[in-house]
Amino acid sequence: MIAGLILALIAGSLVSLQNIFNNRVNEKTGSWSTTTLVLGMGFVASLSMSLIVEGKGTFNIQNMEPWYWISGLIGVGVVICLVQATRLLGATFAISIVMTSQLGFALLWDSLGWLGLEKVPFTMNQLIGVVVIVGGIMVFKLGGKHEQQEAA
Amino acid sequence: MRGIIFAFIGGACITLQGVANARISQDMGTWQAATVTQLTGFMMALVILLFVRDGSKQGFGQVKPLYLIGGALGAPIIFSEVTAIQNIGVTLTISALLIAQLFLTFLIDSNGWFGVVKKRMSLPQFIGIGMMIAGVVIIKL
Repeated sequence: MIAGLILALIAGSLVSLQNIFNNRVNEKTGSWSTTTLVLGMGFVASLSMSLIVEGKGTFNIQNMEPWYWISGLIGVGVVICLVQATRLLGATFAISIVMTSQLGFALLWDSLGWLGLEKVPFTMNQLIGVVVIVGGIMVFKLGGKHEQQEAA
Repeated sequence: MRGIIFAFIGGACITLQGVANARISQDMGTWQAATVTQLTGFMMALVILLFVRDGSKQGFGQVKPLYLIGGALGAPIIFSEVTAIQNIGVTLTISALLIAQLFLTFLIDSNGWFGVVKKRMSLPQFIGIGMMIAGVVIIKL
C-alpha cells in the first residue's frame, strides 16, 4: 500500500520534470522532433534497464500478443491530443481537463477491471474522493495569480 | 469544443497507457514492457516526423544536454506507475501521481528552477493541493 503510493508519487515527480525538460526541447525544435527524441530516449533507457535486470531474457518475448506492439501508439495519440488541446484552449485550461479525464477514466477502468487487471470495486468514497481531487485541480489551475504557462 | 474533446481523449489515453503497460507487464518483465511500447511509439513518431518535418535539426544543438536526455525518465516513470497500479489500483495511482506532478511543477515554478519564469506561490495553489490530498484520504477511508 505505502510502497504503491510512494512509487506513484515518484512517477508524478518525474513526469513533472520530464514535462519541463521536454518543453525546453520543444521551444527550439518542434512537437514531433521532441516526441521522437523523448520516446527514443525512453526506449534506450528501458532497454538498458531490461538488459541489466533480465539479461538475455529481455529478448524472450514469446508471451507477446500482437496488440502489445501497437500499445506504443497510444503515446503518439497523447501527443496529438495534447498539442491540439493546448493550441485551442491554452495550457492551463487544457491541462485541467486532461487531468480530470485521467482520473475519471482511472475510476472507470478500476471498476470495470478492464484488460484483465484486478478489479477494484466501485464505492461512493471513491467517487467523492475523485470529485474532491478534481475540485482541487480546478482550484490549483484556475484560481488566483499563479499563472501556469508550463504544461504541468 | 474541439479543444475540450482533444483534452478529454488525451487524458483518457494517458490513463490507458498506464493500464495497458500494467497489463503487458503481467506477461513479461516491466522493463521489457516499457521497451516494447516505447519502441513502437518511437517508430511511429519518427514516421510522422519524416512527413511533417517540424522544427530545425540545428535546434537540438541549442538545448542543454540535460534537457535532451529527459526522455530517459520515461523508463522509471513507466516502471513506477505500472508497479503502483498493480499494488494500489488505477484510481489511487493516478491520484497520487497527479498530486506529485502538480506539486513539483509548483515548486519549480515558484523557485524558477531549470530556467523557468519564476512565479509567486499563492493561496489557491495551496488549497488545491490540500483538496487533492483530502480526496486521496477520502478514497482510502
